[in-house]
Amino acid sequence: MEAASISHGAAHAGEHHGPPAANRSSRVEPALLGMLLFIISEIMVFGAFFTAYFFIRIASGDPWPAHGTTLPVQVAGVNTAILVSSSFTIHWAQTSIKNGNRFGLKAGMLTTFLLGCTFLFIQINEYANIGFAPQDAAQQTIFYSLTGLHGAHVFIGLLLLLFVTIRSFRGHYTPEEHRGVEVPGIYWHFVDIMWLVVYTTVYIL
Amino acid sequence: MSRQRSLGIAFALAVIAVAIGVVLSYSIHWFPVQASVQAKNTDRLYHVLVLASIPIFVIVVTVILYSIWQFHMKPGEELKDGPPIHGNTRLEVFWTAIPTVLLLGLVSYSFVVLHENEKKPAREIQIGVTGQQFAWTYQYPPSVTGGAPLNSSQLYVPKGESVNFGMHSKDVIHAFWIPAFRLQEDVVPGITTHYRATAVRLGNYPVVCNLLCGLGHSLMRSTVHVVTEAQFQAWIKSQVTAGSSTAAAGSTSSGATG
Amino acid sequence: MAAKLRAPGFYRAGWMMVGGALFATALTWLVRMATGHSTFQHFISPDAILSVSLLAVPLAFLIGIGGFDYWFYWAIGRPTRPEDHSSHGAYTWKDYFRINTDHKVIGIQYLVNSFFFLLVGGLLALLMRAQLAQPGSHFVDANTFNGLFSVHASLLIFLFMVPVFAGFGNYVIPLMIGAPDMAFPRLNALSFWLLPVAGMIMLGSFFAPGGAFADGWTAYAPLSVNAPIGQTFFSIGVQFAGASSIMTALNFLVTIITMRAPGMSFFRMPLLVWANFATSLLVVIATPFIAASQFFVLLDRALGFNFFNAAKGGDVLMYQHVFWFYSHPAVYIMILPGFGIISEVIAVKSRKPIFGYRMMAFSLLAIVGLGFTVWAHHMFTSGMAAWIRIPMAITTAIIAVPTGIKVFSWLATLWRGVLHLDTAMLFALGFITTFTLGGISGIMLAMVPFDIHVSATYFIVAHIHYVLFGGSLMTIFAGVYYWFPKMTGRMYDERLGKWHFWTTFIFVNLTFAPMHVLGLQGMPRRVATYAAQFADLNLFISIASFGLGATTLLFVYNMVTSWRGGPRAVSNPWRALTLEWQVSSPPPIFNFDRLPTVVGGPYEYGVPGAVHGIFAPAPAPTVAGAGAGVVSAPSQ
Ligand code: HEA
Ligand code: HEA
Ligand code: CUA
Ligand SMILES: [Cu+2]
Repeated sequence: MEAASISHGAAHAGEHHGPPAANRSSRVEPALLGMLLFIISEIMVFGAFFTAYFFIRIASGDPWPAHGTTLPVQVAGVNTAILVSSSFTIHWAQTSIKNGNRFGLKAGMLTTFLLGCTFLFIQINEYANIGFAPQDAAQQTIFYSLTGLHGAHVFIGLLLLLFVTIRSFRGHYTPEEHRGVEVPGIYWHFVDIMWLVVYTTVYIL
Repeated sequence: MSRQRSLGIAFALAVIAVAIGVVLSYSIHWFPVQASVQAKNTDRLYHVLVLASIPIFVIVVTVILYSIWQFHMKPGEELKDGPPIHGNTRLEVFWTAIPTVLLLGLVSYSFVVLHENEKKPAREIQIGVTGQQFAWTYQYPPSVTGGAPLNSSQLYVPKGESVNFGMHSKDVIHAFWIPAFRLQEDVVPGITTHYRATAVRLGNYPVVCNLLCGLGHSLMRSTVHVVTEAQFQAWIKSQVTAGSSTAAAGSTSSGATG
Repeated sequence: MAAKLRAPGFYRAGWMMVGGALFATALTWLVRMATGHSTFQHFISPDAILSVSLLAVPLAFLIGIGGFDYWFYWAIGRPTRPEDHSSHGAYTWKDYFRINTDHKVIGIQYLVNSFFFLLVGGLLALLMRAQLAQPGSHFVDANTFNGLFSVHASLLIFLFMVPVFAGFGNYVIPLMIGAPDMAFPRLNALSFWLLPVAGMIMLGSFFAPGGAFADGWTAYAPLSVNAPIGQTFFSIGVQFAGASSIMTALNFLVTIITMRAPGMSFFRMPLLVWANFATSLLVVIATPFIAASQFFVLLDRALGFNFFNAAKGGDVLMYQHVFWFYSHPAVYIMILPGFGIISEVIAVKSRKPIFGYRMMAFSLLAIVGLGFTVWAHHMFTSGMAAWIRIPMAITTAIIAVPTGIKVFSWLATLWRGVLHLDTAMLFALGFITTFTLGGISGIMLAMVPFDIHVSATYFIVAHIHYVLFGGSLMTIFAGVYYWFPKMTGRMYDERLGKWHFWTTFIFVNLTFAPMHVLGLQGMPRRVATYAAQFADLNLFISIASFGLGATTLLFVYNMVTSWRGGPRAVSNPWRALTLEWQVSSPPPIFNFDRLPTVVGGPYEYGVPGAVHGIFAPAPAPTVAGAGAGVVSAPSQ
């Protein structure tokens, strides 16, 4: 006990007083693995909402979209394109920092963030103009719930992106140490892919 | 005492325990009276399950007690270790295979009983059941009354006749349970659920709401009157001629006539 | 004073909670004003304020005590402060009431917190039994009674059974695998503090207008949709508890995968580690479903959505599918870690290697896999499509096979061992007995026609308590006695412990066995009063249950006095091989002064000269590496 704490304190005089480094028994990064497992959990959240969707839309056999309602397939399609392109811009930011291009990192993060905001803005606009409310009937409920659940994830993703953007403008991250860009990036890709699933099932099929 | 001898004693005790268990399981009055065909089948299934379970439980307990008796640490053994046995493939295959076979057998038998209990007979009558916080009402369609449909707070069924109950709920989920029939099914808003029973014993048996449905749940009770065919027809006639006044008085809600 | 109000802790939490409540009021007011929607008739609604407060105030509390400080600094790109990272070890009892990132401190926090809720939940059960002692008794009214069993079950499941195992895992897993801490210590601290929050929300529902949530721990819609505001306490409390278990499970998985000591291959891990690995998989995959089910209810309740409104096309049975898709796996979340504990205890106290180690590990994974395929056995009488019953009954029955493998392997481990029949071992043997009974009644319930008769009766209540009290709780007692010396550095009173075992074992059976008969004869569960024919047995059960409550006090007394004044424990009183026993009791602040290397299996008792772990000869120089984060640099 003595030994550990003394040598430890000496080593990190101005640094964290964390426990000593552990043996690394797997090649995967802990942070990366944690994010992947978390995404499994997130997929299951969507899975539960899709279960509700399945029961309300398919098991009941009612027409979709409900009689008298239309879904703005085109607008949402454009929105889809916006979100998908943000996956590419964040990828650009990541490759930039790997190559030591700080401008690319900053520009890429900022574009991604703004694209995400645009997506959310259009989505909210869609809600405002769609002409039905979740209180109307179960089909409208599940429409709002699935897209809203996704919207909430976009929002959380945007928060993460915001943090990363701030930090990149403050000069954090280096070609060697950019885990902090990568892990939120994975989450953002997940949010994108999930949207493709939601868009396809809710709007197109 | 030799290992053989004590094993023999343990085995004998286990056999006695199984025997006592079996006798007990047959002498305890587990169930309410059997008032339906389905009850007989279900009770038989239960007894088979108990018979299959007793030896399993007795084996487990016998091994534990025997180990305590024979292998507990004796004075002077404080630092002694047991033999380093890591496993035995044959034994492991054995205790995987035997339960698998036993369970598949039991579950197959349960499906036979299930099929028996639920199969559609050549002839059956329909009675509607409506669940509502906190009362049951029953609907007798024209095919049963021979005239206008009848809505009543009382449940009469003819003995020996298969009845198909079609069940609705007006508010939350209830469950229609007649312990004497060994049958229950939830009564769910938005869908119609079904319940098939053939009463075989005259008498009055409790109908119980068996799904938490709010404050009055423990009091949501009714009675099923199993009567002869002739009595059943007479009751229907008396209800129909008594007119809607009786029916309305019987049902707590407004005109839900089936 | 100002500094106290700014520093993380209870003072800051206090004013932030007030802020949270004000925020909730303002937010609902604004939203209702902005949306002139027909469902928002008034600008101020107590129910709406209360609902939003239930989210805002607990979050404010968590921020206030400092659960998020590090991440806030990280998020805005400021240098993160070292203090919140170094708070290792606990030096006074007050340290247990702070955010602390030491897995051993967190483990104790978890355990003590859980046992507190065991006592409260048990006390609620005793109140229930007082009501049920006689038919038609008026000890409490029906609403209160429904609240009692709902809160009883919710506390015992979400705040006792699930977290108590996370407590053992937290304390023991890093030690067992030779790691200095968990992979994400700050997440670990946060996941603990979510629990008292969830517990207080659930208990607080007793003070809600209209009473505590009263729809059972299953909270079936649509009853729960139209229930008084107390129901919201359940829906939101579950979110906090669920978030806590997901975080812990992620942490366990990452820790077990990435932080094992050199030489600790998967098949050299103690079975407790395996059990928590399997459980964590269940948690990560299943828990989102209960979160979603409660979101649906919340949305229906608060915003007038129509998930469960049959009149508008909602599907009532969907709730049950989503709920049980979590809650069946949840029962294995509540027993698999217990299986792990029993494996440790039985191997050590029989002085033999665990029989069939690999099958023990694989059977855990088999239960995890099968556990996801059986949820509808809770719905045999629900009115769902009839054919679903067939595959579900088969998979349910088959789960007895991997469980049986475990039971029989434990029995084979006993065989020809040298049994040390101390308290932990007695609880392990008692567990096998009562759990087998409870498992067998479970198998009976898998048989559809039989379940159709007894579903939702006291037969189910008997099954629940045989597997949860006779099963899980017995393993927990075994675990507490087994690791007590390690955790506290003291020995418990063996004589009292044995008394505790025998009285518990007897009273559990006296209390819960007669419930089988009640159920078969037709007594429904969840009733405040019952037919006179059930009076005798119920009185008997009530008396026995008070005895059961009293035995728990014996346990509490033993633990408290031994912790304060028991004889000092040596580092390895049981002569166990697993790594946690190779360090002092309690362990040093960072677990291992010297890095362990694992060279053999964990249970090689009786094998001449066998060792599990060896320690590097010199104080480990590896800690001097440039490790910035907790686990950043590989040490060798
Ligand atoms: C720790 C908790 C726990 C555990 C481990 C189990 C284990 C099992 N449970 Fe249980 N169960 C609950 C907690 C648990 N249950 C709860 C809380 C409820 C009620 C929920 C509510 O409605 O409120 C419930 C309800 C419940 C139902 C629904 C009843 C109803 O509402 O109508 C069913 C039906 O199939 C069931 C079955 C089983 C089975 C087959 C097992 C099996 O896993 C058991 C396997 C174990 C053994 C069989 C013993 C050891 C094996 C051997 C010795 C081998 C040889 C054995 C044989 C060949 C039989 N359980
Ligand atoms: C998870 C574990 C668990 C545990 C340990 C228990 C423990 C007990 N349970 Fe519970 N029970 C459930 C889980 C559990 N239960 C579940 C899931 C349900 C279903 C609920 C539903 O339908 O929704 C249920 C339902 C349930 C019912 C049925 C209610 C109904 O359907 O109407 C009953 C009735 O007797 C009951 C009784 C008991 C008793 C007597 C104990 C005893 O073991 C309690 C022993 C007492 C103590 C351990 C406390 C000792 C404390 C003191 C003496 C005071 C000191 C206290 C302080 C200082 C605060 N329980
Ligand atoms: Cu109707 Cu309970
Ligand atoms: Cu289950």
